[in-house]
Amino acid sequence: MEILPQIVLSGLAQGSLYALAALGIVLIFNAGGVVNFAQGAMAVVTAYVTWALLNGAHVPYPLAVALALCAAFALGMATEMLVLRRVADAQPLTQIVVTLGLLMLLTGLVGMIFGHDPRSLPELVTLPSVALGPVILVPSDVFDVAVLIVLVVGLMVLLRKTKLGLGMRALGQDLFAARLAGISLTRVLSLTWGIGVALAGTAGILAVPNTTLTPTTMDTLVIYGFVAAVFGGFGTVSGAIVGGLLLGVVDNLIKTYLSPELSLSVVFALLLLALYLRPNGLFGRAVVRKV
Amino acid sequence: MLLFARSERAALLTLALVVAFPIACGFRTYPLFIATQFAVFAMVALSLDVLMGRSGQISLGHAGFFALGAYAAAILSVRYDVDLLVGVIAGAALAALGSLIVGLPATRLSGHYLGIVTLGFGVAVAQIALKWTALTNGDEGVHTHAIHLAGTVLSSPLHVYAVVFVALGAVTAFVARLPRTRLGRAFGAVRDSEIAAAAMGISVARTKVLAFVISAAIAGGAGALYAALTGFVAPEDFGIGQSLLFFAMVVVGGTASTAGTLLGALVLEGVSQAAATVGGLSLTLIGAAIVGVALFRPAGLKSLWRGGEGSR
Amino acid sequence: MLRCSGVTMRFGGLVPLDGVDLHVPERGLFLVVGPNGAGKTTLLNVISRLVTPAAGSVRFADRDLLALEPSALLDAGIARSFQKAELFVGLSALDNVLVGLDHRHLPERAARVRAIGMLEALGLGGVAHVAAGTLSHGYQKLVDLARALVSEPKLLLLDEPLAGVTAAEIPTLLAAIRDAARERAVLMIEHHLELVLDLAERVTVLDFGRTISEGPPEAVRRDPAVIRSYLGGKAVEHAW
Repeated sequence: MEILPQIVLSGLAQGSLYALAALGIVLIFNAGGVVNFAQGAMAVVTAYVTWALLNGAHVPYPLAVALALCAAFALGMATEMLVLRRVADAQPLTQIVVTLGLLMLLTGLVGMIFGHDPRSLPELVTLPSVALGPVILVPSDVFDVAVLIVLVVGLMVLLRKTKLGLGMRALGQDLFAARLAGISLTRVLSLTWGIGVALAGTAGILAVPNTTLTPTTMDTLVIYGFVAAVFGGFGTVSGAIVGGLLLGVVDNLIKTYLSPELSLSVVFALLLLALYLRPNGLFGRAVVRKV
Repeated sequence: MLLFARSERAALLTLALVVAFPIACGFRTYPLFIATQFAVFAMVALSLDVLMGRSGQISLGHAGFFALGAYAAAILSVRYDVDLLVGVIAGAALAALGSLIVGLPATRLSGHYLGIVTLGFGVAVAQIALKWTALTNGDEGVHTHAIHLAGTVLSSPLHVYAVVFVALGAVTAFVARLPRTRLGRAFGAVRDSEIAAAAMGISVARTKVLAFVISAAIAGGAGALYAALTGFVAPEDFGIGQSLLFFAMVVVGGTASTAGTLLGALVLEGVSQAAATVGGLSLTLIGAAIVGVALFRPAGLKSLWRGGEGSR
Repeated sequence: MLRCSGVTMRFGGLVPLDGVDLHVPERGLFLVVGPNGAGKTTLLNVISRLVTPAAGSVRFADRDLLALEPSALLDAGIARSFQKAELFVGLSALDNVLVGLDHRHLPERAARVRAIGMLEALGLGGVAHVAAGTLSHGYQKLVDLARALVSEPKLLLLDEPLAGVTAAEIPTLLAAIRDAARERAVLMIEHHLELVLDLAERVTVLDFGRTISEGPPEAVRRDPAVIRSYLGGKAVEHAW
């Protein structure tokens, strides 16, 4: 049974990445009502940009990461301004179509530019593991959790204390209040896309050292991100975080005790069950349509 | 009653073009294979349009249903040497059964939720196919036995081509006629206003599930034919990319249009084949096509011959 | 035939319906009026089972309506129209009307003949094959009415059938409603009182979820409670 705390711990580290992916999805969804199916491809782009800066331009790793995240932010903003804005008033299906198209387009472009051979990124923190009672603390795991905490705190401050944050909350709820406060909601929406994609990119960069980097690496990560977001009710920051961490632990338990390969299928079954029992997510509320 | 409305005549034209293509190439093996594969994919695209265009739901995992049919037929062929017709029926039945897994929760979900659920379904099916090696032989895949239909061994690509095109004709006729039936109207009613549909005595939940079941059954049947065509079924044929290709065929062709979907399938399959030599190129082109359609021509290719009438 | 007793509805802190009683006999036009937010549409939604009341009973032809699914109402003989038409916009006008008939399981040919007859009776013969979503608002309201009427329900619920209809289309609609009310009960919400009040057998006036007056049009018109609550200032005077 000694192994259980270890499983929970590394599950939380993995869950932090799911939470980051889910956060990006939920922020964008809350602001504009669009589910960005291209989120995974955008994370892949971020990771490849990091890889190129590191191996092509020989930029120091931390700087490469920072530049890549800026690129992710710009990609998110550009996506909103050049593409999504044009279909803002279209049917929901059209918006789903657009982000799926971007998913294919970006995946295809990455494949054309970087090829399909697996690449890799080094660990961001390379310290020896520390034994702490029954568990071993892996520095990169601790780092993942730390990044989540720092970003969530930063996001909270942003949402609560800044004009941009007021605008982001306003987009989700009451447009009128924000208009009164003199905020350009169009700009807030683009910035939200930037932040959301940068969050996905962060998850992508952190995830790569544990796996390999190919144009389709992030498909799984983002499906987990979606599942985490759905578990959390698809609408709240806290729901995305709890959903992500929970999913990380559950996923790790499945991998250890059931089957490492079938975890996604089992998680999917759990998702169906959760949706069937609570169609609006574990923490969500029902929406009533008026006639 | 007319089998094809005026606006659907383009469907016949598209079909005729593809039937003629291998003939023009003198029945050589490769063109025959390409044309037959198009026909199989077109059936899946048509089945997806039943779900998306006609009943207003969404599936980003149709390759999952396609895979269920392909594996059912291939495994039955290897283990019990069954007739192709049995394989097709079994494939359709298994896919229909699988559709209940997503179809039942789907009655309470819509839009992005359903997109995520179906996406997950497609990935899960491919993953199970990869890992359940005792049944599926994992990534080595399943090689089918000699395919036979009603006692005749389908020994040449021409035979398979003929069988698949008869099947495509039947599916096309069914799908094209659907809007002029009670069932098709119920699909449209549920798509356009669930509240009014219920007030008209339609069980919204049952209608949505039924659309899933019918759509999956067609996709599963097509999967069985795919197994007969390739003689080999492996998980890599049924990934997210394949699901998105089916989705793209419907979107580019234009939803709720039989002819549009056929044309969309033709164009995208053409792009896939033409760009196959450069890694990532076909995906890039298809992605660009989808974004372009969504931005500039939301009605898709069907708007080439159809104005406002019945379009959506 | 339709009897609502003590129907009460609560949404959070709001009480859109507060103990409403309503009786509708087998034939004639029955009008529910009241200011915006009085609970009229909610009452119609209760009867057509889109919402379930917190308290009270709704009985129709000796059946408990609250025990039925919304999709069972048409079989029970109750059809409705919608304030915003709620047409199946991707289907043709004819197909919309056919959907209203499909629960009868008639042979396709017979159903089509009847649906086309219905459309022609409302002057919609020319647009039978046009996608409903592309029709003018007035035509959409007519198609909505045709869809509800084609199954020959015993009770027809109409939610503001005249709202947004142009002056030219109103006579057709009014005539159709009057004809419909000869053979069945029609329960109608409408704001254009000047057009419909005198057609009604009885009128129920709702305000803040309660019935403040009930009776024949001329009695309701003179009811001080109505004048105070609903008619208020002069602005509404001409509406009578």
